[in-house]
Amino acid sequence: MTIDTSIGPDRARELFRAELGDVRTAADLQALRTRWVGRKGSWVSSFMEALATATPEQKKAFGRGANELKKEVEAAIAERETALAATRRPAHAVDITLPGRTSALGHRHPLSLIRDEVGGIFTRLGYQVLEGPEIEDDYHNFEALNMPEEHPARDMQDTLYLQTPLMPRGTPEGLPPLASQVPGAVAARLAPQPLTLLRTHTSAMQIRHMEKNAPPVRLVAIGPVYRKDNLDLTHTPMFHQVEGLVVGKGVTLADLKGTLAAMAEALFGPGTGVRFRPSFFPYTEPSAEVDIQCIKCKGAGCAMCKRTGWIEILGSGMVHPAVFEAVGYDPNEVTGFAFGMGVERVALLKWGVEDIRLFYENDLRFLEQFGL
Amino acid sequence: MKVLLSWIREFVDVPESAEEIGKLLSVRGLALEGLEIVSGNPRGLPPQDDVVMDFDVTANRPDCLSMIGIAREIATAYGRPMKVPGGRDFSPAGHDGAMAIVIEAPELCGRYVAAVADVTVGPSPQWLQDRLTACGIRSISNVVDITNYVLLELGQPMHAFDLAKIDGGTIVVRRAKTGESITTLDGKTRTLKPEMLVIADASRALAIGGVMGGADSEVSATTKRIVFEAAYFKPSSVRATSKALGLKTDASTRFERGMDATAPARAIARACQLLEQIAAGQASGTSQDVYPAPPLAASLVLERTRVPGLLGMNVPDADVERILTSLGFDVAPHKGGPCGDGATGDGWNVTVPSWRVDIKRQVDLIEEIGRHYGFEHLPSTFPGVQQAPAASDPRIVRDRRIRSGLLGMGFSEAITFAFVEAVAAAPFHHGEAPVTLANPLSEKFAVMRPSLIPGLIDAVSHNRRHGRRDVQLFEIGTRFSPRGETRGVAFAWTGLATADHWSGGRRDVDFFDMKGAVEQLAAVGLVSLTFAEAELPYLVKGRAATVSADGTAIGVFGLLDPATGDRRDLPSGDAVYVAEINLDALTAAAPTDTLRATPLPRYPWVVRDISMLVDDTLSADTVRGTIRLAAPGTLIDVREFDRYQGQGIPDGQVSLSFRLTFQSPERTLTDEEVQAGMQHIIVALTRDLQAIQR
Repeated sequence: MTIDTSIGPDRARELFRAELGDVRTAADLQALRTRWVGRKGSWVSSFMEALATATPEQKKAFGRGANELKKEVEAAIAERETALAATRRPAHAVDITLPGRTSALGHRHPLSLIRDEVGGIFTRLGYQVLEGPEIEDDYHNFEALNMPEEHPARDMQDTLYLQTPLMPRGTPEGLPPLASQVPGAVAARLAPQPLTLLRTHTSAMQIRHMEKNAPPVRLVAIGPVYRKDNLDLTHTPMFHQVEGLVVGKGVTLADLKGTLAAMAEALFGPGTGVRFRPSFFPYTEPSAEVDIQCIKCKGAGCAMCKRTGWIEILGSGMVHPAVFEAVGYDPNEVTGFAFGMGVERVALLKWGVEDIRLFYENDLRFLEQFGL
Repeated sequence: MKVLLSWIREFVDVPESAEEIGKLLSVRGLALEGLEIVSGNPRGLPPQDDVVMDFDVTANRPDCLSMIGIAREIATAYGRPMKVPGGRDFSPAGHDGAMAIVIEAPELCGRYVAAVADVTVGPSPQWLQDRLTACGIRSISNVVDITNYVLLELGQPMHAFDLAKIDGGTIVVRRAKTGESITTLDGKTRTLKPEMLVIADASRALAIGGVMGGADSEVSATTKRIVFEAAYFKPSSVRATSKALGLKTDASTRFERGMDATAPARAIARACQLLEQIAAGQASGTSQDVYPAPPLAASLVLERTRVPGLLGMNVPDADVERILTSLGFDVAPHKGGPCGDGATGDGWNVTVPSWRVDIKRQVDLIEEIGRHYGFEHLPSTFPGVQQAPAASDPRIVRDRRIRSGLLGMGFSEAITFAFVEAVAAAPFHHGEAPVTLANPLSEKFAVMRPSLIPGLIDAVSHNRRHGRRDVQLFEIGTRFSPRGETRGVAFAWTGLATADHWSGGRRDVDFFDMKGAVEQLAAVGLVSLTFAEAELPYLVKGRAATVSADGTAIGVFGLLDPATGDRRDLPSGDAVYVAEINLDALTAAAPTDTLRATPLPRYPWVVRDISMLVDDTLSADTVRGTIRLAAPGTLIDVREFDRYQGQGIPDGQVSLSFRLTFQSPERTLTDEEVQAGMQHIIVALTRDLQAIQR
């Protein structure tokens, strides 16, 4: 660009401002400096040179303007220089958009998440959380739960049996301490029996607890249970159960309803209603199946709830007096409630899982969908 | 139980739609499973649509396996009266030589009613056929259809014999003889046992009592005289017979749950009435009712306070009485005083109807009241707390810590079935017998897992076959042996040890990654471990170790034997490392005394490195042991930081570098004393291990 000294400082200022606006890099800025205020050949030096031969009037008219322009240009360049320096990446800078180096965290199994969540809910409600043996004797799994040998309800739970029974746990010194304080018939039953089957429900655990502990009782038992069910979309031969048991003076069915309503809200969100439908279990009387309001349609009726607005979630009831008698509790002194819920069922509903078998395939693409 | 709306309406006035009835009954104890519109022709009326309602009847309510039983529930639910079914009373005419009954096994058969009728066998009228078909029973002939009609209507199973085929005209109710056999109506020949009840004639078994009739005495097109049978059989006996023969019928399902002992006479009367009504024949007047010991009606005391005491809601007296009366109970006031079932307070004397075999205690009555008053009226309350809650199972907290540790190391949590294939379990029994299932679902689920590793191998294999290269999984669960159950944790690792990264450092998992994971787990429980070489059928020799704590073996880890992996469809060439720790043993090894914090050191530490050449068969443990033995008490840490073989190192030797840290809790160590300590160590290494300092 040739230096056009024919324009005056005012016009030159306009030009400079425009050029300054186009500066992007330090090199741009250096070029701008050379052209406008360089020692030789810049607009300022050329203008000053031209001014040397000018008339005193011209000198007077333009000299001050030229000097002001020079100062102004230098200040503007210095300012831009600082600004540019502030945006420059230092030599040790890294590309912070590259992926970080992680040591990958593992993912929790969804059933384990539900177990913990339910355990947490009941811990808050003042329950103890227990786990028990998975191989059981017939007495604890059936008989003490008001299901004697010929009871048709045994058909409700197809049982898996061991080829060779195992020796009872903790024999002979493992006799429950209450054995000496309970009536003879009960004490006789408390004699350890060979372990013959895989527990079909965690209720067996509750019997064991009541045998050893006087009321009040306030517990949930969580763990795997086994039934001879073929694998399909909704059945697996092993699944997990949460069972609750509360025994004390004046425990009522209404207490059960309040408790389960609180659990439903904690698990499925505030406002989740519960409904009790009368049912039958040998170990509870009255018995109720419990529905929650459909979590998809909120009770309006959809395919998920078969247009009923309700989804069955668990079985429950007031502990049958025969169960209390079996563990040496006096059914005229205490009442209690019990409930049993499938962990898989909760997980299926909560996360919209369509095939229960996914829980047992342990496919990482599935597990990684759940949190830590 | 499939019921027809038109049939129900013969017993109770319910103009409500089937949907409405179903909705209400579902919250009164009879869940509606399905609705189906059928074209019906009830009782000669013009054809019109009818509805089949399929109710799920719980095992305790055999009385509801009938139209009349379901109608009674509907009547109570809506507060409407039941219409007493018409029909003549049955009064036995006694045997007149045409037919006689002998009960030889009264312990299995409490009542046997039979009536002779002259019949013309043919098809049933259309309306009768339609009703049976709608309820899922195939129409056979007018006589047989009548027995099924009565079964559906009253719930009482019936049977019809061809009188001409009853040898001697005498029906003998007796136990089967050893080896006796019978060909049942389904055409199968069945061998019976003495604990089974048969209906027989003078020479042979005609029917299996309460289960199925025999083909020999079946009513046929040429039958002229029949015997209608209605009886009461012992539930447990029918159940055992049905189970032993693998034969479940409409009759056995009802008998095994318990039938109404008063029903057989009503059923016979109803059958005879129907016979005349459809012009299929006429009762001949010969009939007999053998009922040696009619049971007394059960009666219970219901205390007023027990109702809200158990339900947690008040039910007005009028509703208590209305509900029970409507369901067929007789209710009378009761003045307090001790009596059976622990009842002492005021309330009601309640007589249980003969068909309610499920009602045995006060609580059973309270359930009836509660469900028909409506569980929807239950308030939501909470049980009171009488004492501080007891502690939870300590394993839950421990497992949570173990789980967090493994998640932090990148392992995802798996849950596998506790039963595995016998061949998968085989390498893991450690000389103990397998815990085998007697009735497994399939061969895949035959043996209770002796170890968590087989399940994890299958899970790794699944992931590898579904395109996943890098897999880290763990499982916390129960292992089974003849000695009982133990809780363990197992983990498996294949593929990358370090995540793939643009900066490099990509490396596959090796033995020491796995060892580190084991060590970190032990650190969760503040347990220190020792390791020893192991030989195990499922691990590669030379890359396998047992883990001990406090001198007790608590686990193993190492490289999975490729043949074991192959058998579980792992891609060949996969290096899969596995580990398993007995958590119960780990817990037992954890320090039990209360943890005391140690003050932080106040004096600086001194670090010295030492490099030496030693024989390459020497284990690091031996070298470390020699150093520790020779070192002063101020040596607080020994760490291998380099191990080198190759150029510049003679064959059979290895260069080892250790970093030693010295520190005293009491003073600053001087250079001289550290130097003296180092000298001691070097002398010992040279003397004992022929080490050459580099």
